[in-house]
Amino acid sequence: MLIRRSWAWVLGGVASTLVACGGGGDAASSAGVPIASALSAQAALGERIFADVSLSASGRQACASCHSPDNAHSPANSLVAQLGGVLLDLQGRRTAPSVNYLSSNTAFHFDAEGAPTGGFFWDGRAASLQDQAGQPFLTSFEMANANAAEVIDKLSRAAYADEFKRVFGADIFSRSDDAMARVTLALAQYQREDTEFRGFSSKYDEFLRGNVRLSDQELRGLAVFNSPGKGNCQACHPSARAADGSFPLFTDFSYDNLGVPRNPALVQNDDPAFYDLGLCGRDDLAARADLCGAFKVPSLRNVAQRHVFFHNGRFNTLKDALTFYVQRDTNPEKWYPLNADGTVQKFDDLPAQFHANVNTTEAPYNRRPGDAPALNDAEVDDLIAFLKTLNDGYRP
Amino acid sequence: MRVLLAASALAAAAAPTSAFAVDYLSAEQAARLMFPEADAFEARPLTLDAAQLQQLDAQGVRGRSANWAVHAARRGGATLGFVVTDEVIGKFELISYAVGIALDGTVKQIEILSYRESHGFEVRLPAWRKQFVGKGSAAALRVGDDIANISGATLSCTHVTDGVRRIVAVVALARRAGLLT
Amino acid sequence: MTSHRLRALPAKTILAASLALAASAAFAQTPTEAELARRLDQLAAELAAVKAQLAQMQQERAAPAPAAAPAPTAPASGFGVTAPAASAGTATPAMAAAAPSGPATVLSSYGEITYTRPTKSSVNTQADVARFVLGYQHRFDAKTKVVAELEVEHAVSSADDAGEVEVEQAYVEYQITPTLAVQGGLFLLPMGLLNGNHEPTAYYGVQRNFVETAIIPSTWREGGFQLVGTYDNGLTVQGGITTTFDLSKWDAASTEGKDSPLGSIHQELSLAKAHDLAAFGALNWRGVPGLLLGGSLFSSQATQGQTAEKARITLWEAHARWTPGRWDFQSVYSRGTISNTAVLNTPLVGNPTLIPSSFDGYYVLGAYKVWSHEDYSLTPFARWEHVNTTRSYADLGPGLTPEASGGQRIVTVGANLNITQGVVLKADYQQFRDSPDQNRVNLGLGWNF
Repeated sequence: MLIRRSWAWVLGGVASTLVACGGGGDAASSAGVPIASALSAQAALGERIFADVSLSASGRQACASCHSPDNAHSPANSLVAQLGGVLLDLQGRRTAPSVNYLSSNTAFHFDAEGAPTGGFFWDGRAASLQDQAGQPFLTSFEMANANAAEVIDKLSRAAYADEFKRVFGADIFSRSDDAMARVTLALAQYQREDTEFRGFSSKYDEFLRGNVRLSDQELRGLAVFNSPGKGNCQACHPSARAADGSFPLFTDFSYDNLGVPRNPALVQNDDPAFYDLGLCGRDDLAARADLCGAFKVPSLRNVAQRHVFFHNGRFNTLKDALTFYVQRDTNPEKWYPLNADGTVQKFDDLPAQFHANVNTTEAPYNRRPGDAPALNDAEVDDLIAFLKTLNDGYRP
Repeated sequence: MRVLLAASALAAAAAPTSAFAVDYLSAEQAARLMFPEADAFEARPLTLDAAQLQQLDAQGVRGRSANWAVHAARRGGATLGFVVTDEVIGKFELISYAVGIALDGTVKQIEILSYRESHGFEVRLPAWRKQFVGKGSAAALRVGDDIANISGATLSCTHVTDGVRRIVAVVALARRAGLLT
Repeated sequence: MTSHRLRALPAKTILAASLALAASAAFAQTPTEAELARRLDQLAAELAAVKAQLAQMQQERAAPAPAAAPAPTAPASGFGVTAPAASAGTATPAMAAAAPSGPATVLSSYGEITYTRPTKSSVNTQADVARFVLGYQHRFDAKTKVVAELEVEHAVSSADDAGEVEVEQAYVEYQITPTLAVQGGLFLLPMGLLNGNHEPTAYYGVQRNFVETAIIPSTWREGGFQLVGTYDNGLTVQGGITTTFDLSKWDAASTEGKDSPLGSIHQELSLAKAHDLAAFGALNWRGVPGLLLGGSLFSSQATQGQTAEKARITLWEAHARWTPGRWDFQSVYSRGTISNTAVLNTPLVGNPTLIPSSFDGYYVLGAYKVWSHEDYSLTPFARWEHVNTTRSYADLGPGLTPEASGGQRIVTVGANLNITQGVVLKADYQQFRDSPDQNRVNLGLGWNF
């Protein structure tokens, strides 16, 4: 079903400063509200494929199932990890992230200072939107197709198969690898062109445009977010417009290791010897022990709409997640299991030899037991009020 | 008389080719300003020999050139004084100027003939040039001493001042050596 | 003297040439004997005339008395100008007071090498080729010239090094009338004492003073046009339209804005946003020798259309310099204001460096040339400055408005030793009254030509 929302409402007084982002092309974060235009033929196909549950082994799972358009393309339920597989009973390994605001992300690489940057998935293993789009089709605990040929076989029986042939060639279904490549291309184009993936329609965006004021509490929350001695969030989640005027994405596409506590709700964690090591879990980075435990810094846009937080879904509320940030080191007993002798098993989701990788130098996680946390309860509430202003679809 | 006629004829012919008064005065005009009562300016081109140049060096004046364009201001048969025309570099451009020396060896007047630098044109101001009047070999004739600097034009001021000091010394030496009467 | 021989040569050459010409003429046709004789007579007469000229010139050189020249073409030397590189032998007869013509293209350069040692943390001692500048002035004709300067800071400029290469000046100057000139291009703003006159030989102390780096962001240049009027009463009037700063460059997360508010947002005409343009004016009076009084004003919108809000940056200053005898007294006061900073700062709340609504500074300096000998001179000096880059902030609400500060007071004492007119050795000690851990000793070597 085609989802198209027409942007009928004109933002008063701002029209003259809008930069029109036409459809197509790489949409780096825009300086104004992107103006929707008709999707190209490829992107229109991508839109249909994105929502097509028939392309899964179970017949009940599409991209949109976990990346729900109703919830900023992240899960609408509060499962710790989505269920997939042939019978939709296999738990995934990590939470499903939002796929919004990714069009300016790059392939994984090490930047000038040697810091890991870019890449798609929590561990950056996919080099592009297109690369990422193809993988869930073939994962046994997700859409569970055995190979590309199975996917294409299902697609050839879809309602839009004729359109697919028209766009990519009449014989495309006879070449399943090529057809699969075009499937991923169409999905990537859809994510790039459709302004639903880069709305910039939150209250904070309107505030940056000068159209609306933040409430006192939201402003206090922004101050806490920015202050290097308080939340210091903008160190990884930039909140200011860039020098070229583009609006902030609230991520720098880098990686961090927070020592998030182990989540017993994940079935894979039933095996005490199993650890999800993040970056160094990738084959090509297996030798980089310093990167064990590091996961992608996600965008905070629409974070208040999420139901599970961090790569392992350990927390269900923003309040818990933020309180963990500031009390991880001042009150570790609140977050980690206790040993028989009463000591805290800090960083229990990492083998002992990697505990040194955890970020303990940047605020707010540079405190010690007995120190006051960087934020008190009221400040955390202020911060949450601010984070709520990052939800797209703001109407005054 | 012939000399005067020739001189004025030449002066007419030698009007600066630039229509522009960044060339403010011709040498002829400057000389007349300095010695209005003179009826003739006679060329006294001066050439110093090696020994004389060394003498100047010993005095602390670097005798930059051996040849000097000097004119004697004459009235009737008597000399009133001397006019020396010279050029120095400011920062980038040449500054041409004239110094009038009275019979007692002191500076009578200085005039800037041509100035093109972007800064330091204040050397042209009467107030700055008046600082030199009445100073002879005994005076220091140095910027930052008895000659005030012009802020932002130290090079122009210093070079013109050095030039005046040099001219005073050269004229004094030449007169002692009998080369100038 | 070589002049006699030089004089003789041309005559001989002329003679030789004439003879050769005559000889070839003789070969070219078959003249009669009479014709040949006639030519010889002609040549002899010419030779006699040339000899007479030569004699006359030699006489004039040797004798102070007015030359009694027989030939009507006797060259009475007009008002010559002593050429700096005297080659009198080639002087032409009618040498007028022509416009002096130096070389059309003049190269200039200045350089500064510094050594800085904080007295309380010697581990941070640093030596640097602070600046290396190459410049030229090229004169196209009597009215038009171009001035350009290229600067290298910190010796090495590359992706991994701290240095920078930049074009510091690049403008054309055209003399419209004797008192009015126009400049177009990238030029230095005529504000303060240092910005237009920043060579190492022009100021006291190893490092440039804080008022004219933190408040007036020397070396500050903008692109545009200005008119420069110079008048005989000592007044210089300047005014122009130029590019300006870019407030959208303000980086609230770094401390650059606290070191120099305007320095952190200058554009240096490098792919500069030019939606907003500035107007400036400057007045300087040098009517009394040794005294300079002046002031200037610069103002523009500076958000460059990047935000819906507008904000205006205004900077003004007043300066004085008095140099009686061996003394040198200088003083500058400058103040900058930025409007509408509450609106610009609100999205940046919590960051360490928000945009101040005003900043200012002043200094007073005294120097005395204790010793001089020819071109050597030693000038000790003392300077007191008070600089405040965070003088006031617009109110953002309780708990959100940054603290305004009282600024920083710095005392500098030291000396400049001039070796020649263009080379200077400097040493000074700087005491930061409000943050003594920054106290430091500086040594410097500079040149300028």
